[in-house]
Amino acid sequence: MSFVSVQHLQKGYSGTPVFSDISCDIAKGEFVTLLGPSGCGKSTLLRCIAGLTSVDSGKILLDGQDIVPLSPQKRHIGMVFQSYALFPNMTVEQNVAFGLRMQKVNADDSHRRVQDVLQLVELRDFAGRYPHQLSGGQCQRVALARSLVTRPRLLLLDEPLSALDARIRKHLREQIRQIQRELGLTTIFVTHDQEEALTMSDRIFLMNQGRIVQSGDAETLYTAPVDAFAAGFIGNYNLLDAGKASQLLQRPIHGRIAIRPEAIELSRSGELDALVRSHSLLGNVIRYRIEARGVELVVDVLNRSAHDLYPDGQRLALSIDPAALCEVA
Amino acid sequence: MSRAEAGPASLYHRAVVYLLFAILVLPLLGTFVYSIASSWSATILPAGFTLKWYVQLWSDPRFLMAFGQSLLVCVGALVLSVVLILPLLFVVHYHFPRLDALMNILILLPFAVPPVVSSVGLLQLYGSGPLAMVGTPWILIGCYFTVALPFMYRAITNNLQAINLRDLMDASQLLGASTWQAAILVVLPNLRKGLMVALLLSFSFLFGEFVFANILVGTQYETLQVYLNNMRNSSGHFTSAIVISYFFFVLVLTWAANILNKDKSQ
Repeated sequence: MSFVSVQHLQKGYSGTPVFSDISCDIAKGEFVTLLGPSGCGKSTLLRCIAGLTSVDSGKILLDGQDIVPLSPQKRHIGMVFQSYALFPNMTVEQNVAFGLRMQKVNADDSHRRVQDVLQLVELRDFAGRYPHQLSGGQCQRVALARSLVTRPRLLLLDEPLSALDARIRKHLREQIRQIQRELGLTTIFVTHDQEEALTMSDRIFLMNQGRIVQSGDAETLYTAPVDAFAAGFIGNYNLLDAGKASQLLQRPIHGRIAIRPEAIELSRSGELDALVRSHSLLGNVIRYRIEARGVELVVDVLNRSAHDLYPDGQRLALSIDPAALCEVA
Repeated sequence: MSRAEAGPASLYHRAVVYLLFAILVLPLLGTFVYSIASSWSATILPAGFTLKWYVQLWSDPRFLMAFGQSLLVCVGALVLSVVLILPLLFVVHYHFPRLDALMNILILLPFAVPPVVSSVGLLQLYGSGPLAMVGTPWILIGCYFTVALPFMYRAITNNLQAINLRDLMDASQLLGASTWQAAILVVLPNLRKGLMVALLLSFSFLFGEFVFANILVGTQYETLQVYLNNMRNSSGHFTSAIVISYFFFVLVLTWAANILNKDKSQ
């Protein structure tokens, strides 16, 4: 039985639907990500679950109980905001203790729980500081500690890493995942960053225009996109219509196909019918723009050594693993 | 060494700052010297110095009454402003953010109508009938409330936008706080600075307000500026002492407010 069950949820503003008839189920202890472009309704869905935005119709069951009629205070849900939403007039310790203060937890117990959770996010030495005296990453860890200390039934993370620089973002996403696993906390994470979604999630719900277009684990979403949107949003798929696909593969293809850039192999031997138009170095990967049989393709090659680098204008042979061809709607 | 301190440009920058400072301070300094001069008419420097004008001023019951009445009217208007505008701002920004555009037009109205024109209108409205308030402090409090509205609204709105009201309210409610608890424990303490700025600006403006006070209440409820106007035919040294006392009071008030407003976290 699922721990969180969203059933036929509808929400709109002034007659314009944000999402309609959304349904999804999340198991206890699962880390799921709502992934999608800006405006797809993922944050609104999260706010509806939190109770911060009303729903037009539908049910949200949390541990079997419909929480739609409940106020945010009574849902026992923790949430971390993109803006951190730390209280500027309170120290780190006071911020973290705020939820316990509202629950009227006695001072000794509150102090112990605050210290424990600050230890968990490695901020015990910063208890006396004010939010403006902390870095972005530290602020977000305080926000996480504040939402964990009340022992919520469900944790919601609304693009918590978007405002941070790449290095801190990477470190923090590992830390969040580790804490979530340690506590076995059911978590819904919202992001528009596919890398974050793929590396952190047990399951991903890919959203577009108020619909969940595909759900599954990272591997499924990455290797088997169901439609052109999924193929375009996850990875850098080459999307070819039937005509181009037939031209490239030199056999009749009747639908649209998607090919992952790393599923295409380049070599100096064989039938040299591909031409390197341009290339760019992405660190451990070299991304080539190739023209082959009149079709433009993006090809990713592992950057093993400078010797392997193909210069622009080089003619190469191209091969595609048939198993890597995905038919998409 | 900072960039501002280096190079010949700094001399020019300093000169501009000192010149501006001199332009602002010199008239005040002149008034102050005049207020402590025993006599200063046909000579470059005063004939002598004395505090008798201040003693005379601060022992004048009419001045003390006018000072107290000014204080009462200003404080009354500001209390009314805080009580009405703060909840209004909270509701506008948290529940109906679209109303902010309308509010921005409304708060400009006190500036759109000149005080002389609006006071004539107020005289017509409140001169007689069931709401006859002309000549009483109540009409000044109401009138000053509208004058303070733009200062209060703008300063607190800027503060509200800076603290990200919506996220703070959402976060506190998810942590179990009621709307009241969130407003009092989280939002209000973070509005302290904006509120203080708004109150200081409004107070300084209202304490020196003359047109409304003179036309709507005049000598029936004499305020400081009306008193100053009525004393214009007495000694210039005496009126200078009034001006300096008024200035000094506002200065001390501003300084005290700044001390109180110091962030303990800084």
